[in-house]
Amino acid sequence: MAAINRRDFLKLGGAGAALAACPGLHVAAAPGPFDDYRALVCVFLFGGNDSFNMLVPVSDAEYGVYAASRQNLAIAQADLLPIQPLASDGTDYGLHPSMPEVRDLFESGRAAFVTNVGPLIQPVTKAAFLAGSAVLPPQLFSHNDQQDQWHSLKGTNQTATGWAGRIADLIRLEVSGQQLATNASLFGNTLFQSAGETVAYVMGPQGPVPFEGFGDSGIFLEQRRAFERIIGGDYGSIYERGFAEVQQRAVDAADRVSGAIAEAPNLATVFPASQLGEQLRTVARLIAVRDELAMERQIFFVAAGGFDTHDDQAELQPGLLAGVSQAIAAFHAATVELGIADSVTTFTQSDFGRTLTSNGDGTDHGWGGIQLVVGDAVRGRELYGAYPLLAIDGPEDVGGGRMIPSVSADQYAATLARWFGIPDADLAQVAPHIDNFIQRDLGFLL
Amino acid sequence: MTGRLRVYASGSRAALLLAASLALTACGGGGSSGGASEPPPPPPPPPPTLSKTEAFRFLNQATFGATEAGADAVVESGIEAWIDNQMNAPASLQLPYLRSLPRPDFPGQLQPDRVDVWFRNAVDGEDQLRQRVAFALSQVMVVSQLGALEGAPWALADYYDTLAEHAFGNFRDLMEAVTLHPAMGIYLSMLGNEKPNPALNIRPDENYARELMQLFTIGLVELNVDGTVKTDGAGQPIPTYDQSVIEGFAHVYTGWHFAGAPGFEQARITPFNQTQPMALYEAFHDTGAKRLLGGVELPAGQSGEEDLRAALDNVFEHPNVGPFIATRLIERLTTSNPSPAYVRRVAETFNDNGAGVRGDLAAVVRAILLDAEARPDDALDTDGKLKEPLLRLTQLWRAYDARSESGAFPFGFAYILLGQGPLQSPSVFNFYSPFYAPPGEIRDRGLVAPELQIATEYQNTLITNLMLAQAFVNHSENPDLGPDDVFIDIGEEVALAGDADALVARVADKLLAGEISPLLAEEAVGMVERIPAGDPIARAAEAIYLVASSPEYAYQR
Repeated sequence: MAAINRRDFLKLGGAGAALAACPGLHVAAAPGPFDDYRALVCVFLFGGNDSFNMLVPVSDAEYGVYAASRQNLAIAQADLLPIQPLASDGTDYGLHPSMPEVRDLFESGRAAFVTNVGPLIQPVTKAAFLAGSAVLPPQLFSHNDQQDQWHSLKGTNQTATGWAGRIADLIRLEVSGQQLATNASLFGNTLFQSAGETVAYVMGPQGPVPFEGFGDSGIFLEQRRAFERIIGGDYGSIYERGFAEVQQRAVDAADRVSGAIAEAPNLATVFPASQLGEQLRTVARLIAVRDELAMERQIFFVAAGGFDTHDDQAELQPGLLAGVSQAIAAFHAATVELGIADSVTTFTQSDFGRTLTSNGDGTDHGWGGIQLVVGDAVRGRELYGAYPLLAIDGPEDVGGGRMIPSVSADQYAATLARWFGIPDADLAQVAPHIDNFIQRDLGFLL
Repeated sequence: MTGRLRVYASGSRAALLLAASLALTACGGGGSSGGASEPPPPPPPPPPTLSKTEAFRFLNQATFGATEAGADAVVESGIEAWIDNQMNAPASLQLPYLRSLPRPDFPGQLQPDRVDVWFRNAVDGEDQLRQRVAFALSQVMVVSQLGALEGAPWALADYYDTLAEHAFGNFRDLMEAVTLHPAMGIYLSMLGNEKPNPALNIRPDENYARELMQLFTIGLVELNVDGTVKTDGAGQPIPTYDQSVIEGFAHVYTGWHFAGAPGFEQARITPFNQTQPMALYEAFHDTGAKRLLGGVELPAGQSGEEDLRAALDNVFEHPNVGPFIATRLIERLTTSNPSPAYVRRVAETFNDNGAGVRGDLAAVVRAILLDAEARPDDALDTDGKLKEPLLRLTQLWRAYDARSESGAFPFGFAYILLGQGPLQSPSVFNFYSPFYAPPGEIRDRGLVAPELQIATEYQNTLITNLMLAQAFVNHSENPDLGPDDVFIDIGEEVALAGDADALVARVADKLLAGEISPLLAEEAVGMVERIPAGDPIARAAEAIYLVASSPEYAYQR
């Protein structure tokens, strides 16, 4: 391949022919570009967010049930930040006191909650669950298995792809001019973005890092070329081949992406000095240079850890939720600053909700939980899905306060995918169990 | 980026010689021997004469990096005698070193020192096999600095020492030592776990109950002795346990807290109780009956210690433990994709060491390393594994006698720089999943490559840059290094720098047992020759950089 420096490359404007020569980029076959830009940003809360302490009923009767269940882990009624959903289910709700930023986003119509959502293959009744006759995702309550369910929506299938990966595969011809893969992770390899036809690009929390020994001229260019020829070799083991493929993608994208991001405008928005804040700041900077990279559709994966609060939950949860609230609000503000807030939708996922009962000072692995969706395309200031009665042995509790989801992760993903541009006919490829549920679109996006 | 297969056409002497010697191994495909081609020995084989290449390959499985001197020693003694000798070597420990340091204002400030002593032991320890097995175990029975143990460096050091001391002991003893270790107690919240209080909706913590079974011993589904998954009549995997069993074990693990406290509720962490096995506070132990694996029910009214021993016995006797642990250790030491027959041989050794003992880890380690499939004669493209990032670094350091003037290896942020550090996993699920299969041929063929999960574009770039800095800056010829800068000794390479072929061949001997592909040799020689002969240090550095950052060096064949 002839040497093309970054500026030449940009002048080509992402012409398919030049790109076709580069591994990791898609060959233009039937370009039919979207006429707009859209991005999905998945904020994964690793460990299982105790979201029944994030959005809490404040009406006296329902709060009483909540407090009786949660005992020493209940948030004081007076501390909850009241919200006023446009449509009421008859109960008043409040947010965890450490989330004033999200409260403001919600009240201004830019955020919504999807209540009691989790992995399901088909609707489940408590009676069927207890009788052992319910069709269930395998290994409920296990971290990695339930993370995998959220990522892949695989149910009992042997699927090795994630739903974001399948979206990228479905639109790969439409976005063949993109100079970066549709899927980008700032938190390592993830099943969520794993695909059959396309490959996600993994960068650091501050974006890609350049190869220090490479340059555009002289010995540094020679070094780069030698390195490229070595990693382009014909290797005898699957491990060397797999490793060399990653190196090829890294060399291929590092200059282009770091070059573009270096020219991104400085954002006035201040992000919190946290892992999540840093990742979301980088996402905002990448979105700022979307045109330079000819991006039309992007799915970003960022994450925060520490939500597996078996111990010391009362001490840890305020900081965890404050971190989410501040980082997501800053990111939304950055998209407003960039004039793109209606094209970027941020949403949370997490392993599972947690038990309403406690183990003394913490909680264990549950099932259904509450997720947050933010952006100007969100039909905000609403709760989607039925909020369960938080009673031990209540109608949704299968034991210890593990709640049967009322909404499936498939429905959640399908709603996001449809907004992203996946036609209804293809939704089942993204969310394989969507036909088992009446509502194919939860309605939380415009 | 044109044709992937380069026609080999170089005039370089070393590369030609290497090409000739590699003719049978097809471009880095990994033949087991670089030596003469002998007819396969008839069964039962007499002890074969070990080639230096094979010894080198063995040492990359059994140590923190093969060295030429080490390979010579193995050729001299034979592999079995080397293993025997290593198993008798006393453990290099971490805790005595940490105890020797002044106590800082915040205990977490000792974490870099804990990582430092890990590197000292990994790079220079005499008990290489024990340390390597301890490292493997630390990726099965995972605790991590990242989280609640940040402030407990002594607990982490002592936990690692516990793994090292039990590396060749019995697995049942290891299970108990791990279960009662306060590092594990803190990490998976068994410490302070108390009996139910229904009035307050308090039930026992399920964290340790779940992960001991899922991740440390038996896994989620029933296995055949060869590690393959058992299925029921409908072709579905059979779960090893259900929620009621988790709850049974959760009740077993109640009543334990830091030793030596006036009472359960008064127990607080100290620099000393964090290295003592947890103690039972009987009043906080649940005395009801408890459901265990295989329909076993523990009777009510037992003491906490009786319950614990019976419960650990119950797990230890589960038929999954052999194939489960065999697979985990094979993956860490020899190959990502063992045949079912290999797993079976090791699992059967776990089940019975030949003297009727179950769980003999020394026998298991021997079985893994001495198996014909550990270093097969007929190379498959699935043999071996990707080297873990830490091992890529420690092998380089051992091959090049790395050290700092102060003796320190100040690498406390290994988990950031390498994506992997000692007891620095992001969660109890280790740095990578044993089932990770990247898209492409590995997934399509139903294979796995766990280490590739953290070989991301980002992490590979960081490590490539680290190799660059190590080769070009942190070396013995640089007079401007600080006392804590870890440098490699490149004197020999500098002396050879006038002869590019000889230089590259020397680096290949040290890092690849001479098994360098013609492509890498040609490119390295070509780059060295582009650097003026008047800059021998840069020439030496260039050769080391290109080899150390190459796919074939990243591969443990």
